[in-house]
Amino acid sequence: MVQPLLENFPANRTTQLDREGNTSAAPGMKKKSFILVVTRNGHMAEPVMDYAITVADRLKYAILAVHTNTLPFFRDGGERNRLFAAAMQESSALFRQKAEARDVQVEHTGETGKIGKIVKRLCHTEKRIEFVIIDQGIRMEEVTSMAPVPVFSVIYTRSKAGAMTTHSNPMNTGDSRMSTTSRKRHVKNCFVFGGLTAGLYAAVFSHPDIIMTYLTKGGFYALLPVAVVLTVSYMHGNFTNSFWAALGIEGSNVKAPKQADVRQEKTDVPTVKKDTRPRAQVSA
Amino acid sequence: MHGPINEVIQFIDLSAYSIMFLVLVGFVGGLVSGFIGSGGAFVLTPAMMSLGVPGTVAVASNMCHKFPKALVGAVKRYKYGQVDIKLGIIMGLFAEIGVQIGVMLQKHILDTWGPAASNLYVSFIFVCVLVIVGSIVMRDALTAKKAGGATSEPLLARRIQKIQLWPMISFKTANLRISMWFLVPVALATGMLAATIAVGGFIGVPGLMYIIGATSIVASATELVIAFVMGLGGTLLWAYYGMVDIRLVLLILGGSLFGVQLGAIGTTYVKEYMIKYVMGTIMLIVAVSRFFAIPKYLNNLNLTSVDPDSVVIMTRISFSVMCFALLIGATIILVSLFRARSLEKAVA
Repeated sequence: MVQPLLENFPANRTTQLDREGNTSAAPGMKKKSFILVVTRNGHMAEPVMDYAITVADRLKYAILAVHTNTLPFFRDGGERNRLFAAAMQESSALFRQKAEARDVQVEHTGETGKIGKIVKRLCHTEKRIEFVIIDQGIRMEEVTSMAPVPVFSVIYTRSKAGAMTTHSNPMNTGDSRMSTTSRKRHVKNCFVFGGLTAGLYAAVFSHPDIIMTYLTKGGFYALLPVAVVLTVSYMHGNFTNSFWAALGIEGSNVKAPKQADVRQEKTDVPTVKKDTRPRAQVSA
Repeated sequence: MHGPINEVIQFIDLSAYSIMFLVLVGFVGGLVSGFIGSGGAFVLTPAMMSLGVPGTVAVASNMCHKFPKALVGAVKRYKYGQVDIKLGIIMGLFAEIGVQIGVMLQKHILDTWGPAASNLYVSFIFVCVLVIVGSIVMRDALTAKKAGGATSEPLLARRIQKIQLWPMISFKTANLRISMWFLVPVALATGMLAATIAVGGFIGVPGLMYIIGATSIVASATELVIAFVMGLGGTLLWAYYGMVDIRLVLLILGGSLFGVQLGAIGTTYVKEYMIKYVMGTIMLIVAVSRFFAIPKYLNNLNLTSVDPDSVVIMTRISFSVMCFALLIGATIILVSLFRARSLEKAVA
């Protein structure tokens, strides 16, 4: 999906310029095979970059890195798009820097829309994409259902990725990073929903007599306590969720292989049956 | 019908102690529920009654706090991809029928043999279910622990899944296909146990694991959906009779929603057998607590003549052991969670 109106964000396919001012797609590159590396995050994870560069170096392939903005119409006055574009600039510069060290060619593009469709389109237009590597945050099924080439994901821990991102930040222009805004959002939600919850509790406990009179009337008034607790579960539920997230206590990012995947693998393996059909025999 | 009942109900005045107590018990109960899918509720009814709350109000308020807590836990665990909503809703609807059957059965016992027999029946079911199912779960957890966390689909579940009996239902997240005729008994038993001892999950989660064939993560997460459906139905019924004390519900929810979030986060860090381990531990300790309650009911039935002072002490011990079970469960969860987090950081 092309989004030409967004500022600081490449309209569709934009080849990044390297330090000499040339496009990173070298003249002889067209004949090369590509590895398509896709992320939906502003900052592509460094383990993914490293893996792609290592494989590309070994196979003598070039890399086509794609940053996909999956929420181009996010209603925050274009703030997310601006941050995404800034993060993408940083990330692509880092990727190029890493690739240059291994003499691997990298081409960058910024896209908007659904990951699966973008991968499908690129695979058909580029022709020489051999396989796809996806970053965390992208569902494997989303890409495999559309991609005509094999898709791989790189497993890494969040803290490993975090530790690696700290040492290089060449294009930091003072913009807040997307990960930072996520933490801020939790703190903000914590205050908003905490305030709402406190207000609700204060309302109930400051007028216990009136509340108890109506809520214990029974009959159709039975819907009142249910409505109150559902409201509390929404407000207080969001508050507690943001509270633990703001403290940094969130679910593990290390994914164990799902039982579903394991079973799927079993069913995917074709069973080789012994061919018992009669054969023509030649007897001399 | 709700009018006359409402007139005789006395709602208690809340002191600072009772507020703190309810929030704390709510937190610990929520933590356990978020982790194993259920299990916090059985302490709350006696805990409220120990504060002077009438039995029916305690049961109604407990039920009313259970379904929003289960909702929040289910939403959180759904984000982690652990909940099979279709399985939960189907099981929940049949569990609701099970609750009605359980209530009718208990009413029949109450009408025929009186309140002491009803209490004895509850304790008997408590001890039987908890000892038998708790031992199975615990044994399985210890076997998995010895094998380094590797678990395989139970033999019974594999055999049941092979039986093609119409109507067959597929469950995507749980990754299984099973005849509805095997879901219904598990769901009914879950509902009946919920009506009897207030914690259907002690049958529901092991049933989902060993009979239906879901993993312990999916089973405990899906149990939250079942608890939500059952809790919503039960709450509407109790609220119809005006029995819900919203102040108690809000205080318990105040603590339990913190707990349920943390419990749900914990499931993403620990190995699968830890859920079974915590569940088995709590079930076996609670079974011990009910042994201490039995002499009281036997005395009431004039079957034994234990000294009344001893009976009072034993009843207190019974409640303390229940609280101890919950605390042990919560401690295991917290220790496992924070140990796994620090290990993950160290590895990275």
